[in-house]
Amino acid sequence: MLQLQLQSWYAYAGLTALILAYIVGNGVYGQQLSLPLKKQCAAACTYVQGKMRLVAVRVLRQGPIPQHVGFIMDGNRRFAKKSHMETPSRGHLAGFTKLTKVLEWCNDLGIKHVSVFAFAINNFNRSTEEVGALMGIARDKLRDLAENSELVNKYGVRIRVVGLRDLLPADVRESIEYAEGRTRGNLGMTLNVCCPYSATDEISTAIQRLVEDVENGLLSAADINETALEKRLQIPGPDLDILVRTSGQIRFSNFMLWQSAKMAYIQFVDAYWPEFSFYHMARILVSWQLASRDIERRKLAGAVHDSLASSEQLRNSESSSDTCCGDRT
Amino acid sequence: MSAAVWLVTILLLAALAHVGGNGDQEITGKTLKRNAWQQLCDGLCALVLRAAHLAFTIHRSFQAWVQNSLSQAELDVQELLQGDDTEELTEKRQHLADFLQSLPQRPEHFAVILPEANECSQGGTMAFEVDAVETLCTCALLAKVPRLTVYTRNGSLKTSFDEIAYRLRKSSMTQRVTANGRMARICLDDGKHVEYSGGDDMDVDADLCIERPLSLHVSLWSRDNGYPALARLARELASQAECGRLPSGSIDESYVATKLVDAAGHQHPDLVLLYDDLVCIPDFPPWQLQNSEVFQVGSATARSLGNAVLSAFASYANIEKRFGK
Repeated sequence: MLQLQLQSWYAYAGLTALILAYIVGNGVYGQQLSLPLKKQCAAACTYVQGKMRLVAVRVLRQGPIPQHVGFIMDGNRRFAKKSHMETPSRGHLAGFTKLTKVLEWCNDLGIKHVSVFAFAINNFNRSTEEVGALMGIARDKLRDLAENSELVNKYGVRIRVVGLRDLLPADVRESIEYAEGRTRGNLGMTLNVCCPYSATDEISTAIQRLVEDVENGLLSAADINETALEKRLQIPGPDLDILVRTSGQIRFSNFMLWQSAKMAYIQFVDAYWPEFSFYHMARILVSWQLASRDIERRKLAGAVHDSLASSEQLRNSESSSDTCCGDRT
Repeated sequence: MSAAVWLVTILLLAALAHVGGNGDQEITGKTLKRNAWQQLCDGLCALVLRAAHLAFTIHRSFQAWVQNSLSQAELDVQELLQGDDTEELTEKRQHLADFLQSLPQRPEHFAVILPEANECSQGGTMAFEVDAVETLCTCALLAKVPRLTVYTRNGSLKTSFDEIAYRLRKSSMTQRVTANGRMARICLDDGKHVEYSGGDDMDVDADLCIERPLSLHVSLWSRDNGYPALARLARELASQAECGRLPSGSIDESYVATKLVDAAGHQHPDLVLLYDDLVCIPDFPPWQLQNSEVFQVGSATARSLGNAVLSAFASYANIEKRFGK
């Protein structure tokens, strides 16, 4: 009797494993294989994957959620090369597809601001063909995102493009204006697309704006401080909580330096941007949740130290001015 | 029996779909009132999250323990540098210097972010920082890196300037490293004071400093060199604009860059070592981070600061810089 029961258990386990292996194998690697029920398996895999992701999102939402996340989407060309794609622009297209997915994840997780590094000013040093292809992708996809995306139409995502727009071709600028105009009133997540951007340009432009305001009499030179400078940066929103860079490179590449150096949690992921998965995202988020209390504590300690230092400075300057007055009298 | 197990599997999948579906509704903001079932689901999710946190913490501790165990077998750079001049140690030191100098790529400007005094595991306070600067100087001299910057957010290094200068003057570690048969000369600079050490004579006057090339320029930085410095620059430029001496249109990236070049005229750090368990940059001067490679080593996992520097140099050696291309 026991033997029979065991046999039925083995049969069940074996059958289940076989069915699952068939569904997963056919659903995930269906393009390479031509087996029956390919579409159904793919649909089942997508469905289960989606549901699992939503469960994971629901679990993650029980902890603190970052307000602002930045992504350096690096590794599209290397991904194209690795995947034997014909041109690097295919890699950039795969990168854009991944971006829409990542935005969906961020939206599901309740992240309010996402900033992505789409094109650096020094990326104009690349070949004319590649820059042209990238500009084409930016033109078409921005318009598409603003017009047809569920993120915009259902969840009210707002698109903002940050950087030196004058360097872009006219048709890309038109797409940007269209996307920004169409999503201006949206109250959902804000997406800052940095294109073409460099953090040092952002800081120097902020300094220039401050000086302009002083020239125009809107501000006096004595009122200039870090807060005034920060208000004039191109990327608005709360402090950057997490900065993610893919492709295993360990540098900022002149992206959001002002925001990143203010205790943003930095994560360098050893995967190309099109390979970035929800697993990477969840891992980063869990790790940030564990570190967030420590980050807050250090930020607070820093703020206390700074205020003590500034009050001491003020006291010193007051006492020195007292001495000056005393000397004069 | 099999049918029962299948039924349980289907029920589990249905529950999964239900929880996922509820999550979706929650995201769209359609359901604001939460019923008992949803609250129960939330409770379960919170439990799962706590379990994930626990698992993550255990995994990280295990990783750190493995790292620590492995590093015990490594050569302790700190001990090697601090040890007496025995034949064996001298030979090992020479090997280390040869290794560092044979690296295909070395930074021109190396920066290290130290944990703040109350956070460093080595017992905190000034002693750790003074020791750290001495070790870093020795490593930089061995690797022939001409520029070293040591950063603490609160500026505690600057307040220990005299102690650091004294230590560098008396340091047997740095004095062992020679340049062209003469002792290495170090310039210590905190933005307000400059102190020279090394060489045959300890109190070298300014004229002599110009004549003899420096082996290493050490800067002590704090938060004040970053955000406040940028605000000060903006204020200075605005004052000039107020007087009509500077039109705002002439301010651009290259203009700001020229104003931010330090007195020594060095480039921004090529390599930044974050010697901290938390992967956050604690208000390091943002402008100076533009071309830096960042290497993080937890102070709890590295065997010593010297070993962390060695790992950072080894990692930097194989980095490919593309500058946007």
